[in-house]
Order: sequence, then structure tokens, then C-alpha cells
Amino acid sequence: MSAPLLVVDEVSKSFAEIHALHEVSLTIHQGDIVGLVGSNGAGKTTLLRLLSGVYRPSSGSVHLGDGKSISTARHAIGVVPENTGLYSRLTAWENIRYHARMQGIDDDEAWKRTLYFSRYLGMEDSLQRHTKGFSRGMRQKTALLRALAHAPKVLLLDEPTAGLDVTSARTVRELVKQLGEEGGTVIYSTHQLAEAERVCNRIIIIHNGEVRADGTPQELLNITGQPNLEEAYVALTSDVARERMEDSKPLKGVAKWWRSFFTPRLPKGVDEDE
Amino acid sequence: MSDRLHRVRVIAKKELVEFVRDWRTIVAILVIPLLMFPVLFILFPLLLASEAAELDALMLDVVVQSENATSEMGLNFNDSKMNVTYEPLPVIEELSAPGIDDARLRNGSIDLLIRLRANGSVTEYALIYMSTSEQSLEARSRALATLSQWEENETIQRITDAGLDPDETLDPLRWNGDVASSDVATQGEQAGMALSLFIPLVLAVWTFSSAIQPSIDMTAGERERGTLEALLALPASRMELLMGKWLAVATITGIGVLLQVAGLLFAIGYLASSNFISLPEISLAALGLLVLAVLLFAVMVVAFELALAMRSHSVKEAGSILGPAVLLILFPALFTQVINLDGIETYWFAIPVVNVLLALRELLMNRIVGLHIITWLASSLLYAIGAAWYAARQFKREDIVTSLS
Repeated sequence: MSAPLLVVDEVSKSFAEIHALHEVSLTIHQGDIVGLVGSNGAGKTTLLRLLSGVYRPSSGSVHLGDGKSISTARHAIGVVPENTGLYSRLTAWENIRYHARMQGIDDDEAWKRTLYFSRYLGMEDSLQRHTKGFSRGMRQKTALLRALAHAPKVLLLDEPTAGLDVTSARTVRELVKQLGEEGGTVIYSTHQLAEAERVCNRIIIIHNGEVRADGTPQELLNITGQPNLEEAYVALTSDVARERMEDSKPLKGVAKWWRSFFTPRLPKGVDEDE
Repeated sequence: MSDRLHRVRVIAKKELVEFVRDWRTIVAILVIPLLMFPVLFILFPLLLASEAAELDALMLDVVVQSENATSEMGLNFNDSKMNVTYEPLPVIEELSAPGIDDARLRNGSIDLLIRLRANGSVTEYALIYMSTSEQSLEARSRALATLSQWEENETIQRITDAGLDPDETLDPLRWNGDVASSDVATQGEQAGMALSLFIPLVLAVWTFSSAIQPSIDMTAGERERGTLEALLALPASRMELLMGKWLAVATITGIGVLLQVAGLLFAIGYLASSNFISLPEISLAALGLLVLAVLLFAVMVVAFELALAMRSHSVKEAGSILGPAVLLILFPALFTQVINLDGIETYWFAIPVVNVLLALRELLMNRIVGLHIITWLASSLLYAIGAAWYAARQFKREDIVTSLS
């Protein structure tokens, strides 16, 4: 096994009184194509944001294999967030160039890499177009090109095929596989176990903020003794899933009182009426 | 160039490129301020003058109700472009009571009703008009001019008949010399005084209001569109992000304010050519301090607005906070206009917003008072640092990555 590339060391993350992640430890090696699988609110996005340095751990640490904290080594990471995060008044190439410049990469180098991958994704003719009219698939491909332009050591993809048509989803999956074959490292968050099975050589099942299993698909079957991955997943996550938490903040005081005026009450049940 | 500065510049440049590609924002923030004062000071007076000339050329319909012919009194309303019809005076106690003539004024068949009645040696009169009609007001004004002239002639005649000198009797206290030359303030100083009453107000309000839209777009807008997460994952600190965005908003606001001042100066130049107002006399030092005061104010205001917008989850939320926040500038700005600058206490120059506005007023009047300058400079610097610190805190919040969408 190659040397660790990215280390998550007993990381916990809380938002006020909500514990989004609890003592998560992972070691990512070069060439790993990791599928981060879990239900809504499991903690996948929180973990990805910790890996990209957007969030700081409440306890524990996220660092590169050489010990550098991720907050000071963000150039090693390429991120494709769930909603792609493209600027609609900029062209696809301007979006890519903006991030490349922020990474300290010169335009020629970024352009070479962008051309290389855009041919693969069928995006060469769209690089000069404003992203405003882009389909979901084109946005996703542009975000992928943007994340790859500075040659990151680890690529983080948050639900990269969600909402894509069959062809676009397939193209994205094939690119991820190709990156893996070339020795790249990808962490790929998804709801779809079947997708993770097709693309990834390692699957991490995350549930209620905890890592429930981590291994190759075969190792997961061996751990659970189940005949297929779906059954294995159900066995590992049989407790009730919590709702997505970190984005919602309960209303308090006057705001709660005021909102109550405009919130309809649920109709009474039939039994109650009678 | 260090990496930090490079990233700040890249962020600011990208924000500016996005800004200039939206023509509606360009119109709202750059074109309108440029044209506002020329339109207000040049086109609007021209329009008013044209309307006044049109009104002046109108023949107006007037009815004179009197007991005897006005020509016997020496009154001639026909000279004032009025079609005059004479009627006998109805039997009424008070001349000013419109009575049944109210309808004629309301339906526009006449513009003015003049009533005259002799009461001993005095002539009583009343002008029945309709204040909501331009023509009626104009007719009243012309009639008053004719009546005043008649009254003046009659007064002189009566004084003469009494064996007195009308000039000495009516004007026993007289000014000697040229009124304008008795004011030791130069025309340039007077212009500075006049401009100091509204330029600080315009600068303050426009700086604040023109920064609102770009501040919201670059923070809450970015948050709402979901573009912030990818940006936060880049190797730029939150301070660099704030600095880049601040630089972009400050550039846009600065250009907007400069264009507005250019428009204002053009309008003043136009008015000066017609001797309406002179150009203000401002020393180079006062001009430099004036720019510094505006710059410090812009640092504070833009940082404050970026912070408030960054706290908001959506563009709508940010707009509903920053819109009313204009009042935080407007009220002190209006209040500052009435503060007497002669013998003003120094502490006024330490109050936020008020300090910069007072500084601008003083500087436009070319008054350089050391203690005042130190006070507003130190306090403005302090407030600017405070606002920047507050903005930095907001940019360091982890929840800025989440959005309503």
C-alpha cells in the first residue's frame, strides 16, 4: 500500500448542540477511488467540507500525509460541490481560469489541462460560452474541469451525478475511473450504492455522523455476511437516520412567535374530528 | 507581488468583470449618478423656464366685479394679458366669500375673480382664485402686480397731496453703496458655503446606497447561488476574500461617487457660466483632506455593508436589512446640515458618520482646523478598522457556506 495521502484523525464536528460527525478516522492513499455512501443528513457533505478545509474540525485534525494541515495545503485538493458553484456571467473557461489563478497556476498550464480533460468530456466547444444557459450536465462537467485544472492530489466530488442524464452521468463516472487508472485519488459522495460499486475501489458507509464500514466492496460483504451490498448497507445502517442538520437553525423568541402567525395548522385527523 | 496580494487582485478583478457584464447594474450605479445633477440643475430649470414662458404667454380670463368702472380708479387689468369682463358687484358682506362664483372657477370658465368696493377713502378688494390651477395662480399673480402698482401710485399721490415728499416719507432709512461689496466673504467662499450644505449629504448617501447592490451580490448573492463553497475551498484566506470583495465594491462605489461629483461639477460649471453660482475656492490641502475623509468613510461603509450582507442567508434578506440601513446615514447627514460650524465643539467630530460629514462641510468652506482634523481622522480610522474587523468576523463564520437554495 502506498503512503497516506490524506489523513482524517478522530475528527468530530458540531454545529452548536448538533453533532454532525463523531470521531471519524480515515486514511486515504494515492489511487483510492473512495465512495462515500450515506443517506441524507448522514454527514457526507460535512466530511467533504472538512476535507476541503471549508469547515474546521471541532476536535481532531485533517492533514496531508506529510503532516501539513489541510487549511494550509488546499492546493492539494480539487472540489466539485453539489451545486457546482459556477458564475453565470463568466464563460466556462473564465470560471476555470479564476480558480486556477487563485491556485497560483498560470493560464497556459491551466488551459492545457482544461483542453485535455474537456476533450474527454466533450466540452471543447463550450469553453467560451457563458455558463448561464448550461444544462446541469454541462455545469457538472465545467465544475470538474475547474477542479482538475490545478492538478490536485485529491479530487472531492459531492453527488457528482445527481440530476444528470444517463449519458452525462456515465461520462462523469468514466472520467473518475480513468483518473483512478492514472493513479489519481478521488473521494466521491453519493446516495447510490450501486454507483459507488461501479466506480469505486473502496466504499465508506457513513451513517448518523459515524463511519459504519470502510473497505472494498468484497470486504463489506465479508464484514456483514450479506449476499449483496444493498443488504450489507441496510444491515450497517439499521438504526433510524437523522435529518439533515447543519443547515437548519431552529427559530427562537420573537421570530418563532411571528412565524407561527403565518404557519397553517395541520388538518385534524378523521378520528379526532369524530 | 506576494501570493496574498495576487489572490486579492484576482478576486477583485473577477468581481469587476462580473459587474460590468450586467448592464442594468451599470445603469443604476454609474450612468444615473453621472446624469443626476446635470438633469437636476440644467435640464430641470430649462424645463421650468419653458413652462413659465408658456404660462406667461397665455391670455387669461378674468372677471372684475365692482360698483363702478375700474378705469375711473385708474386700474387697467387689460395690460396684463388678461381678457377682462366687467360685472356689477353682487350684494355680499365679505368680498372674499366665493358664493355662487365658485362654480365658474372650478369649471375653468374663468381664471380669476376680482372684487373691488369703495369704503370711504379706502378701496377694499378680494381675489377669488383656485390654488390648484396654474392658470388661476398666474392670473392672481398678474392681478396682484397691477393692484400693487396702483396702490403705490395712489400712496405717492396722497402723500404729495398732503404736502410731503413721498421719497423721504416712504424711505427714511436708506442703504448707501453696493450691497454685494459689503460681504467680506469672496464669491468662491460663498459658493463653498452653499455647496457644503448638500455635497456632504450627496456623497454620504450615494456612497452608502451605491455600495448596497454590489455588496449584496458579492456576498449574499454568492451564498444564494451556491458559488461560495467552491471559493472557500481555494487556498485563499477569508481575509483575502473580504479584501478582494471590498476592493471591488469600493472601486465600483468610488467610480459611482466620482461620476456623480463630475456631474455635479459640470452642472456647477454650467451655472457659474450663467453667474448663478461661482466655483468654490478650495486649497490643495483641503482637497486632499476631503478625498481622505471620503476614502475613510468608504472603507467603513463598504466593510459594514459587506458584513451585514454576508450575515444574510439570501439576497432578499440582505436587501431588507441594508435598504432601511440607509437611514443610518440619512438622518445624521440631514442633522449635520443644520449644525452651526462657528465655535462648534470638537466632540462632534468624533461621532460616527457625523464626523465625516462635518469634516466635508468644513473642508468645502476651506476651513482647516487642526484639532478637528485630528479628531475626525482618528475617529474615522477607528470606525473603519472596527467595521473591517466586524466584516472579517462575518467572513470567518462557518455557516456562510450554507444557503437557502
